[in-house]
Amino acid sequence: MKLKPTSPLARKIFGRTIRAFSISFWVMVIAFALMRVTPGDPASARLGAGAEEEAIEALREQLGLNVNPFQQFFNYLGDLSRGDLGTSLVSGISVGEIIFNSFPLTLTYIAFSFLFAFLISVPIGVLIGWSNKASWVYSFRTFTSIVIATPNFFIAMVAILFFSVQRDWAPVFGYEPGFPGNMRYLWLPIAINTLILLSIISRVLLASVIDTRSEEFVETGIIRGVSRIRFFWFYILKPSLAPTIVLMSYMMGTMLGATVILETIFSLPGIGRELVSAVLASDYPVVQGTLIFFGVITVFLSFFGDLFAYLLDRRVKL
Amino acid sequence: MIKQIREYAALPGGFGIIVGVSMFLSISILGFARPLLIPYAPDELIGDGLAAPSWDHPFGLDQLGRDVLSRTLAAVPADIGVAFLGVSIPLFIGTVIGILLAFAKNRVFLSLVGSIIDGINAFPLLIIAIAMVTFLGPGLFNVVIVLALMNWARYARIARTRATIVLRENYVEAARLMGYPRRRIIFKHVTPNVSSETLAYALSDFILVIVIISGLSFLGLGARPPAAEWGSMIADGRVFLGEAWWITVFPGIALCWSAISISLIVEGLSRRDRAN
Repeated sequence: MKLKPTSPLARKIFGRTIRAFSISFWVMVIAFALMRVTPGDPASARLGAGAEEEAIEALREQLGLNVNPFQQFFNYLGDLSRGDLGTSLVSGISVGEIIFNSFPLTLTYIAFSFLFAFLISVPIGVLIGWSNKASWVYSFRTFTSIVIATPNFFIAMVAILFFSVQRDWAPVFGYEPGFPGNMRYLWLPIAINTLILLSIISRVLLASVIDTRSEEFVETGIIRGVSRIRFFWFYILKPSLAPTIVLMSYMMGTMLGATVILETIFSLPGIGRELVSAVLASDYPVVQGTLIFFGVITVFLSFFGDLFAYLLDRRVKL
Repeated sequence: MIKQIREYAALPGGFGIIVGVSMFLSISILGFARPLLIPYAPDELIGDGLAAPSWDHPFGLDQLGRDVLSRTLAAVPADIGVAFLGVSIPLFIGTVIGILLAFAKNRVFLSLVGSIIDGINAFPLLIIAIAMVTFLGPGLFNVVIVLALMNWARYARIARTRATIVLRENYVEAARLMGYPRRRIIFKHVTPNVSSETLAYALSDFILVIVIISGLSFLGLGARPPAAEWGSMIADGRVFLGEAWWITVFPGIALCWSAISISLIVEGLSRRDRAN
């Protein structure tokens, strides 16, 4: 059997792919273990203290908790391999469908936030980094560290106070689907996410532009007298971009975590709000399924981020 | 004393560190000395609900008529205290496990623990904390347990990488050749070099943890009412944002104040490192 790729590039990518899949496997193991090792019985927690014995037994059977842990684990892996994440105890809808229905909205506003944050970060990072003036760099770093330290729900509250309560620029909460109409509800969450991401991304870009600045090829570029646009793109931005892309793919996962709070505040029917309402209702299959989804998606985001950064700049460690 | 502070502030990053430390100390001291400073208990009903800030109650009253200033300060032990536990327990566990992993030889054991660490780190911390609270039930004590169970993996990864590098350094090799017992090498040579790194991470992790504690409480999964906690106070004020902004804004400022104080210290320290 000839499975091992021969060229060094392919071997590296192959190794990183194997790692992404093995981490995903462990993500599933952990999501499985969390529900089983914690004290207390999920079925009786869901049904409350006054529930009848038979009802608890029936729910345990429905959750697959009535067999021994090894059997449970194999059943769980079998279900997962068929793409079956379980069924909601509250609505009876399959967890896969809940995720499929709610995730596009979350993805939409996260993607917009990343796009805007990236577009604004590039000029800021390159210009401040290229100037490398101590006072500019330091005040920029202080400002961004303040934004990063401020919890997103407090930023959201202040934004609602200014834009929704005092002026009628955005609805306080609610959502309606459909493209142009939904932006009325989404622009404020997008703006808040953009501000936070912008602070994180431009800091890293700034740091790598400052590093790139002292490289010898930059001096060569100046001496050769390449055009200004070419210079900033090929000599400054492109060599500095790899750490930013690695960070962005990592932040994507963290941002997914933060959506939970923003979606609760703005009542957006995204995946974060599904998770919170499942938590409040002790809807175990939904919690477990969403947890797996978040974990696996984070693993693959960081896989693709690493891969892309490596293809862009071979100095990146894969 | 004043001369020394001035000299320190003149060093690169020194000014930020001093501002950060004094911001952090001021809110901690005010919080822990609250019973001496403010005559109202945090859950005492003392007047009309939603009364605006006045000389008697500079931060106003909340929807039930409780003093917002008293509650904001009473939340200091809940937030800063719990965040301290939520950072120091994982810091300790993670550093110990990381160092042990660097010494371990058994490959099966190594790959098993390594995979568990990678698996835990794959989840966004807030998400896994929310999921675990479902299984454990809400409450600040459970939040500490969740952080202890989940946050150590990040420290373990840092400690393991660092310890592997330290073990290859010449001074450790020299200590080995001189026949020092393993215990001495671990405690005198490896641990100090590893913990300086994990401690630096702990400082910035403090910001993340305090945001997670208040975020969980904001969602109703952390502190239980009527306990005073910044996140849950902000959530309380959400409904009254139009007529009583002070219920939300003052706890929020306290929360930012603490997080920003730490981030100024982190920023100052990293600036000092770069200058050296």
